[in-house]
Amino acid sequence: MDIQALAREFARDPDSLVFLRLGEGLRRKGDLESATAVALSGLERYPDLPAARDLYARLLLDASRPDEARHVWETVLQRDARHQGAHKGLGFLYYSRGDLDAALEHLETALAVDPTDQSVLQAFQLVRTTARTIEEDDEEPNIFAGLEGAEHGLLLVDDAGRVLAGRLGGNANTDEMAARVAALVREAERTARLLDLGKWEWLIAESASQNVHLTQPTNETCLVTMRDRSVPPGRLAFLAQKANDAARGWLEGQRP
Amino acid sequence: MSGVRAVHPWAEKPMEMFISESGARLALLMNPTGQVFAQHGFTRAVDVMAAAALGAAIVSSTAEITKMLREPSFSMLNHQGPTHGVFLSAFESPSGPMVLLVIYGRESSLGLVHLFFEEFVNELNEANPAPVSSEPVLAADFERELNQSLASLFQD
Amino acid sequence: MTHQLQGVLDVLTRVRGVQGAMFVARDDGLVIAETLMEGVRGKALAALAASVFGKFTWVSGTAKAGEPRFLHMQCTEGAVLVLATNQDVLVVIVTDTNTNVGLVRLEMLRAGEVFA
Repeated sequence: MDIQALAREFARDPDSLVFLRLGEGLRRKGDLESATAVALSGLERYPDLPAARDLYARLLLDASRPDEARHVWETVLQRDARHQGAHKGLGFLYYSRGDLDAALEHLETALAVDPTDQSVLQAFQLVRTTARTIEEDDEEPNIFAGLEGAEHGLLLVDDAGRVLAGRLGGNANTDEMAARVAALVREAERTARLLDLGKWEWLIAESASQNVHLTQPTNETCLVTMRDRSVPPGRLAFLAQKANDAARGWLEGQRP
Repeated sequence: MSGVRAVHPWAEKPMEMFISESGARLALLMNPTGQVFAQHGFTRAVDVMAAAALGAAIVSSTAEITKMLREPSFSMLNHQGPTHGVFLSAFESPSGPMVLLVIYGRESSLGLVHLFFEEFVNELNEANPAPVSSEPVLAADFERELNQSLASLFQD
Repeated sequence: MTHQLQGVLDVLTRVRGVQGAMFVARDDGLVIAETLMEGVRGKALAALAASVFGKFTWVSGTAKAGEPRFLHMQCTEGAVLVLATNQDVLVVIVTDTNTNVGLVRLEMLRAGEVFA
């Protein structure tokens, strides 16, 4: 059905779901103003319809309003966690912002919903290729290479709260983590000193989902080792010791 | 560079130590009439004047209440807000009664402020051997003294 | 209540190597109840242990590791152990270097049940 026919159908029955096809048709034609008017009209009648919100979010993105688009897609996912359009849209949005991990996550989910969708498949392959190229171009060596969890559970920071090497998994903000760890180390040092406990050697802490181990390869640095709660503290300490040795060796090699 | 400004040099080091250890954001050392001896964290003289006047008023009014109740005078007060705490304590020194007003954030705690406050008092008393004149403060002198103190506290 | 808390802390200090046990207000770092051997500075232990735990809470939050539960800080001449109870109260222990930490941890968990 062409746009004229869809418009007639929409005019005849404004309560029908034809607004979705009409809005998308107008959007593809480049008539964003009319498409947005149709989408908003549909949203007035069906405010909770995920497809209507998805259409509106795509129009917001076309109109260079990415933050609003992201917000709308996120509300879609709150109602329908596997909504393919929302995952696809967010994948594109994050890719355009350079957040390849988040883009891959959304596109992977979109692909899981419909593995035959060629547009999602192509987008996924493009993002993955870009991510690999960046990784290969990254000349920074992984000083923990070969150790268990080297890619996502070891972080070396200096006493000024700056990252020296390693990374933490998930969405953890590594820079903020480095600053927080440096503050914790300073407090541990002070506590040991004021309580006449000598020098602090290491710290192990358990949280609801992770166990964390802190130790100092040198006086000016701190190594954070994080693992899932399923890794018992004793094993975590063992892993941390091996990483500590690796970090110390690397730091010695950095000295002029 | 230290953020402590002091009218009398003997107050500077104990204040610096207290600020560094307690993690306080703002601190004001004064006498119960509101005459300021040292400050940390204030950027405007008008804020120092207001905080000193309010701190002195709290000390004075609380002392009156404890008098009415025939209770010993208070040694410290604390108000804990969602993001800041306000700690106010009166203590004796060789220069006569002193008041310390402290504002601290979530990076510190009442326990830390209290802990290092005790050390602060000891160090201040050691550093401040000579009694300061305890003549009554005349209204005419008060403004001149206040202005002199503020000039010392905010000089470059 | 004070008597009950003191009794719980007394049990904790009977574990070999434990030099002091306290209940501490998590936000304030103030002592709620304590049983300490001579020479242990209770007020300092409470304030500093709560502060270390508070700093770790920020680390844990940044790492999205969830609510902190237990912390063990090992030093060359002793250790500080902190356990969070359900009611913004910390169980804080200071030990020498010759302590069965696993046993102390179990006793701390039991002690923390007072606030369950």
